[in-house]
Amino acid sequence: MIAFESVRKSFGEREVLKGITFQVPPGQILFILGTSGTGKSVLLKNIVGLLHPTSGRIWVDGDDVSQMPEEEMFPIRRKCGMVFQHPALFDSLTVFDNVAFGLRKHYPEYSQEQIAARVRECLSLVHLRPGVETKKPQEISYGMQKRVSLARTVAVSPKILLFDEPTTGLDPVTTNAINHLILELSRKLKTTSLVVSHDMQCALDIADHIIVLDKGEIVDQGSPAQLKQSRHPLVRDFLREALDAEGS
Amino acid sequence: MLKAARNIIDDIGGCVLFIKDVLRTAVRSPCSLESLCDQIWRVTLQSLPTTGMAGFFVGAIMTVQFTMQIKAFGALGYLGGLSTSATVREIGPLLIAFLLSGKVGAFTSAELGTMRVTEQIDAIRCLGANPLQEIILPRYIGIVISSFFLLAAGLMMSIFGGMLLAAFFAGINPDEYLRHIPTIVSPFSIGTGLFKCLVFALVLASVCTYKGYTTTGGAKGVGRSVVSTAVMTMVGIVVTDWITSLISEAALDMFGGGAL
Repeated sequence: MIAFESVRKSFGEREVLKGITFQVPPGQILFILGTSGTGKSVLLKNIVGLLHPTSGRIWVDGDDVSQMPEEEMFPIRRKCGMVFQHPALFDSLTVFDNVAFGLRKHYPEYSQEQIAARVRECLSLVHLRPGVETKKPQEISYGMQKRVSLARTVAVSPKILLFDEPTTGLDPVTTNAINHLILELSRKLKTTSLVVSHDMQCALDIADHIIVLDKGEIVDQGSPAQLKQSRHPLVRDFLREALDAEGS
Repeated sequence: MLKAARNIIDDIGGCVLFIKDVLRTAVRSPCSLESLCDQIWRVTLQSLPTTGMAGFFVGAIMTVQFTMQIKAFGALGYLGGLSTSATVREIGPLLIAFLLSGKVGAFTSAELGTMRVTEQIDAIRCLGANPLQEIILPRYIGIVISSFFLLAAGLMMSIFGGMLLAAFFAGINPDEYLRHIPTIVSPFSIGTGLFKCLVFALVLASVCTYKGYTTTGGAKGVGRSVVSTAVMTMVGIVVTDWITSLISEAALDMFGGGAL
C-alpha cells in the first residue's frame, strides 16, 4: 500500500506539492490527472526517493520513505518499478542488456540462463517479437523503446508499478496499445499501479480510482463513475476533451 | 557581478563535494574493470590522432620561434634543448590540455548531460544501481588515465615535430638536435611536465563529469553544461598550471640542482 500524508514539496520559493494526502490500496490502478506543471511527476519521484518531500510523510508498504537515505532505498526500489516519461534506455547497451540490467543488480544469484529466460519472458509480455533483443535502442522505434522500458521495469517483479506519462509522444494507436498493456500487466502481475497522465479517456477506461491535481493540490477524486459527475471546472474540461476525442 | 561570483563559488564547492563522493564510491564500491578498460580505450582512440597532431605542431612552433631568437647568437646547436625544455615544461601540456578539454571534456559532459535529461540516470537509481559507480567512476578514472597518456604522447610528438622542423627550417641535423636535449632538459624538467599532465588530467575529468552529471533543463541545459565545461576546464587548467609551476619551483629550490 502507498500512502501520502500532508506531503509538501518546494523547489526554492516555488511550492509544487501543497499538502497532498491519499492512499492506494494494494492491487488498485490509480490515475493522477492534471495539466502540465502541476506536480504529477514530482509526486511520483518522491515515492522512489529520486526526490524527497519538504514536509509530510510517504509510506510504501509500511516503510516511511520520505527522508530515507539513498543506501536504504534499495529494497524499496526493488518493490517499486518506475516507467519514465522518456524510455530512458541505456544507449550503449542492447535491448537484452537493458532489460537484464535491473535483474543483474537485484538478483545477483541468477545464472546467465535464468536471466536470458526472464528477459525473453518480459519482452513477450510487452508483445515484442524475438530478434529485437540484439538491437540497440536507437535502432528501434520510439513505441518499441517504450515497450522495452516497460519490460525492463517488470523484469524485477515489482509489487508496485509507477508510470510517468507513459504515452507522451506516441501516436493514438500505440497510445492505446500501451494503455492496454498497463491494464494487462497490472492485472496479470497483480501489482498496485500509479499512472501519471493527462489522458482522461484512458483513465476512465482502466483506472479504479482517479485523482485530479491542480497547482499542487488535489481538486477532485473518485472512481471513474464518480468523476463523470464532477462539477469541478478542470475535471469538466478533461471530460469534454475525452468526449471530443471519443467522438472524433 | 555578485551573482556571478556566487555561481563560481557554488560551482567550485559543488565540484569538490562531487569529487569526494566519487572517491568514496571508488573505495567502497569500485567500478568493473571491463567498463574502465572500455572507457580508456574509447577516450584514447577518440583523441590520439588529434593530440598527436597538436603535439607535433606545438614542437614545430617552438622550434621556429627559438630558431629566430638564437640564430643571432650563433647558438643554434642548443635549439633542441631549449625548444624541448619550453615545450615539455610549459607550452606542451597547456596547449594539449586545452585541446583535450574541447574534445574529451565536451563529449563527456554532453553524454552525461543527455543521460541526465533523458532520465537515464534516474532509471539507473530506480533499477537498484549507483550511477556514480556505474557511469561516473569508469569515466572519471578512464579520462584521468587516458588524458595523462595522451598528454605524454603529445609531448613525445612535440619533440619529433621540433626535430623535423629544425632540420627543414634551420638545417640542423636530427642527431645534433637530440644530442643537446639532455644538456638542458633534466629529469626534473620531464618530471615537472608529467606532473602538470597528471594535474590537468584530474582537472579535466573532475569538471566534465561534474558538469555533465549535474545538468538540468533539457537540451538547452546540455548546451549550457558543455559551454561551462569548456570554460571551467580552461580556467582550471590555467590556475593549476600556475600552482604547479610554483610547486615545481619550490621543489627545485628545496632539492637544489641547476636544471632548467
